[in-house]
Amino acid sequence: MLDQLRLNTLKYGAITLTNLQNQLAYVWDALNRAFFIIIIMFVFVHLWTAAYATQGTNEIAGLTLANTIWYFLIAEVMELGKFRHDVKITEEVRDGSIAYTLNRPYNYLAYHFFNGLGESIVKMGLIFLLGAPICLAYAGWPAVHLVTLPAVLLIMLLATVLDFFVLSIIGLLAFVTEDTNSFRLIYQKLVFILGGLLIPLDFLPEWLQRVARLLPFNLTTYAPAKLFVAFEWGDFGRFLGLQLVWLVIIGGLLTWQYRWAAQRLAINGG
Amino acid sequence: MNRLKNELLFLRTLMAMNLSSAMEYRASFISQILGMFLNNGIYFVFWLLFFDRFGAVRGYEISDIYLLFAVVALGYGLAYMFAANTGAALAGMIAQGKLDYYLVLPRDLLTHVIFSRMSVSTIGDVSFGLIAYLFTGRFHPLDLLFFLVSSLLGGAVLAAFSAIAGSLAFFMGNAQQVSLQATNAAVTFALYPNSLFSGMTRVLLYTLIPAGFVGAVPVEIVKGRDVGLLVTLLGVAVLAWLLAAAVFYVGLRRYESGSAINVNL
Repeated sequence: MLDQLRLNTLKYGAITLTNLQNQLAYVWDALNRAFFIIIIMFVFVHLWTAAYATQGTNEIAGLTLANTIWYFLIAEVMELGKFRHDVKITEEVRDGSIAYTLNRPYNYLAYHFFNGLGESIVKMGLIFLLGAPICLAYAGWPAVHLVTLPAVLLIMLLATVLDFFVLSIIGLLAFVTEDTNSFRLIYQKLVFILGGLLIPLDFLPEWLQRVARLLPFNLTTYAPAKLFVAFEWGDFGRFLGLQLVWLVIIGGLLTWQYRWAAQRLAINGG
Repeated sequence: MNRLKNELLFLRTLMAMNLSSAMEYRASFISQILGMFLNNGIYFVFWLLFFDRFGAVRGYEISDIYLLFAVVALGYGLAYMFAANTGAALAGMIAQGKLDYYLVLPRDLLTHVIFSRMSVSTIGDVSFGLIAYLFTGRFHPLDLLFFLVSSLLGGAVLAAFSAIAGSLAFFMGNAQQVSLQATNAAVTFALYPNSLFSGMTRVLLYTLIPAGFVGAVPVEIVKGRDVGLLVTLLGVAVLAWLLAAAVFYVGLRRYESGSAINVNL
């Protein structure tokens, strides 16, 4: 049992490490792609500075302007740093190559997760590094404590897993509908508003906040960003609990869908 | 005059062919349009929520945002609906030596290349722009005229800027990311209230990244029924295209094709 665990850890760790090295080999390409964060952060800084000035206050719904600026950087890190394995799954289903990849000596979904993790680590790091100077220039250093940072990182990791589950379901929908683009787009847009990417949930109308806080979208973006700028143990416990509940629900759905899809797969010849 | 008429007829034929080719795949055609409509709609929802919370910001109210979205979406949509081979697409074609196919044909190279592809999803932008305009409540025929003409001119400035960005590939080799980021920057800045930016940033938005001419200026033209500003925008659009043609043809002298065989169907 322990040997199996050790072997799996080595195997999937090697997958993550290999893709991490691949990404680092083309770091200039990745840097070019991450450049958009500078533009978007610049725009956000000006928009929210104007919004706070209009209100004539330095704090709105418990967030200072500096908090809000850093909040957006972390939210963008989570969104732009995502790996898009669902596109790969859809392609594999469409061209039939999934029949071969399923036979390989690893769990198909676990492979995609650990492979994507290597990509995400580089992307998230670069986006943060490019966006941070703008935040530092306009908002100063974030109020982050080293003691609570591991808790924030845990929420970020679970947010990545949750997002992976949802995108996997979308990718596997290719077994039913050939084109999964529209599902991906709908999910992404739900994260924009109900996930707090474009506006923190704290600034939404009360009724919408209540709905958004129960749904899983805010747990992929808002939760890590909010904890990063204004950490509270109460929030951490709530986010962690909700993430675990949604991981069980969406993970269960994904497991069922994966089994169903694998049964539907017809392999002819050899 | 005959030459111009001839070129316009050619462009019309190209556009018609692109449209009928795109409509061949009906499901994809409709889903792309709806997708873009949804994409724009979410930003619209964001602004509704934003103004619901904060009221006016630096002189911009929600009605100004309706108008801003209407002109930018319509301008962007019209620009890329038929002239989609600009920006990263143009940079890619130059880098891969795909201009060879067009070079041997007896047509003006720049217009032929640019208008040879349409972006289907931009039909969603065009329809979104027209629907967003309904929210402004400006239904006087003159307002409508100013809206349509200034959006078209804003789109022309954007397409010219995108063509210049794509032409950078003649000088830099791989310019796909640079041109993509430049075009994205112009569209992003155009979609936010111009009054947010001041000083050097404002200067940049009317020069290096001409987002002001895509969003803010058309908005001012419609709001003030400003003929003078409309003529200025027309001048900027003409200037932008002259510059785009100059950069493209100067760059073309450096063009080197590969031995790749491209088949255009």
